[in-house]
Amino acid sequence: MNTVPRMPHHDRCPELGTGPIPVEPYISQEYYEKEIEKIYKRDWLCVGRVEEIAKAGDYKVKRLDFANTSAIIMRGKDGDIRSFHNVCRHRGNKVVTETGGEETFGNSRAAVVTCRFHGWVYDAKGQLINVPQEDRFAACFDKSTISLVPIHTDIWEGFIWINLAETPRQTLREFLGGLVEHYAGYPFHTMTDVHTYYAHINCNWKTGMDAFCEGYHVPTIHAGSLPGLTNMWSDNLMIFGDHRSLSAFSSEANPPTPVGNAANDIFSASIVAKAQDRFALPPGINPTRSNHFGFEETIVFPNLLIQCGGGLWFTHQFWPTSQNSCMWEGKYYLQAPETNSELWAQRYAVTLQRNAWYEDTATMEDTQRALSSGFLKEMHFMDEEILLRHAFRVIDDRVNSN
Amino acid sequence: MTATLPKDFSVLQPFVQKWALPTEYERGVERRRSTPTELKAFYDAILPLVPQILKRADKYSIGKIEGVDRDLFYMAMSLVEIAPHIEFYNGSPGVPFAFQEDRMIGVHYKQPD
Repeated sequence: MNTVPRMPHHDRCPELGTGPIPVEPYISQEYYEKEIEKIYKRDWLCVGRVEEIAKAGDYKVKRLDFANTSAIIMRGKDGDIRSFHNVCRHRGNKVVTETGGEETFGNSRAAVVTCRFHGWVYDAKGQLINVPQEDRFAACFDKSTISLVPIHTDIWEGFIWINLAETPRQTLREFLGGLVEHYAGYPFHTMTDVHTYYAHINCNWKTGMDAFCEGYHVPTIHAGSLPGLTNMWSDNLMIFGDHRSLSAFSSEANPPTPVGNAANDIFSASIVAKAQDRFALPPGINPTRSNHFGFEETIVFPNLLIQCGGGLWFTHQFWPTSQNSCMWEGKYYLQAPETNSELWAQRYAVTLQRNAWYEDTATMEDTQRALSSGFLKEMHFMDEEILLRHAFRVIDDRVNSN
Repeated sequence: MTATLPKDFSVLQPFVQKWALPTEYERGVERRRSTPTELKAFYDAILPLVPQILKRADKYSIGKIEGVDRDLFYMAMSLVEIAPHIEFYNGSPGVPFAFQEDRMIGVHYKQPD
């Protein structure tokens, strides 16, 4: 039995309609290309956390395959974080050689990056500061006028955002709108130990997002890892422009098991265990302070899913690579363990959640393959799938706009 | 060369070589190639000793456990890896109805704990 919210989600936003949703956006190359041009190359995209590059000279390089580029995100000696395309202004080589993963991390004590092709050196403001054999360049060459191609960068709640547009239509604050107040005071910065999992999945980025954006699948998909969650519901739906958020509730925790209990007693780190609240949530999240509150689920357009509980939080991002493929990153954030037994307890919670993510990702390629046949023209969403419907509406409006 | 465990932990001696693994990656590989019987035997043997193992591990800073205490801790971490398979998945060495496990990569997979 599931407890339905007081007001059906769809009644809160009748403008979204209730009819079937077309399959075409999930399989069309033309639609994909429009998404890249009109969304991914124009909107603010989350690419990391300030803690990842905490010290002056720290940098990370984030692959952005949909734009055939990578972003160098670097903290300067002045403490500021700036981003640049990882392209040398000489002959286009990658300045920072990437390690082969989706993210490359490094540090330079001098807060510079050096291209290993010919040794050109750039400072953390992107300025070209050293060119070997500079005197052999023609008189028209003036390195003081040459910098790495910059990318607009801003920070919100410790998240690092970039915008690939030459001139973003909105500031980051304008883009985030009501989310700023909704999350004000949530202590992301106290839970910065992260376990990151990623996979290249042969599904459309929206197929992947959809699978994480509803609780309808929990009793079936997670019958293995989360068998206790037989009574989940969602409420407090809020639409913040292009973004959306709701709260997930559960009247039950996972069943007690010897290792699960031992871990939870040492450090409650699991989203399916109770008694995880270590701080007061912002007033807008679980406003009634229900004991059944599990986590807040927020989608920051286009591709960032944040799930926040009372002592842990996750993010999921799906990065498009084609109409039929994407790269998924799941990140599990916890307060740093202080003892080895806390580390042990936390790893139990992370392992169980990782297994739930194996279960979540299991349907994605099958779904995409079936959708790609073209024989199914439309999908039917129920009330719990309101976030999928809102996603479709925002994306479709953007794709059809100028 | 496999360490010799203290007498209180002698029941775990047969499991040291297989399960005293430093990284999450290795524990996952080992789990997937074990039989349900092997998983259960290890789970049953180590479960009652977990409190003592963690007490020993807590004498050290994180990442700095030494000697046999480190082997014991790594075995307890292997318990973390296999516990859901005993406690939820009816002994199955793989997660049932899962994405291909070796296609999901943990960035920390090869870092010793």
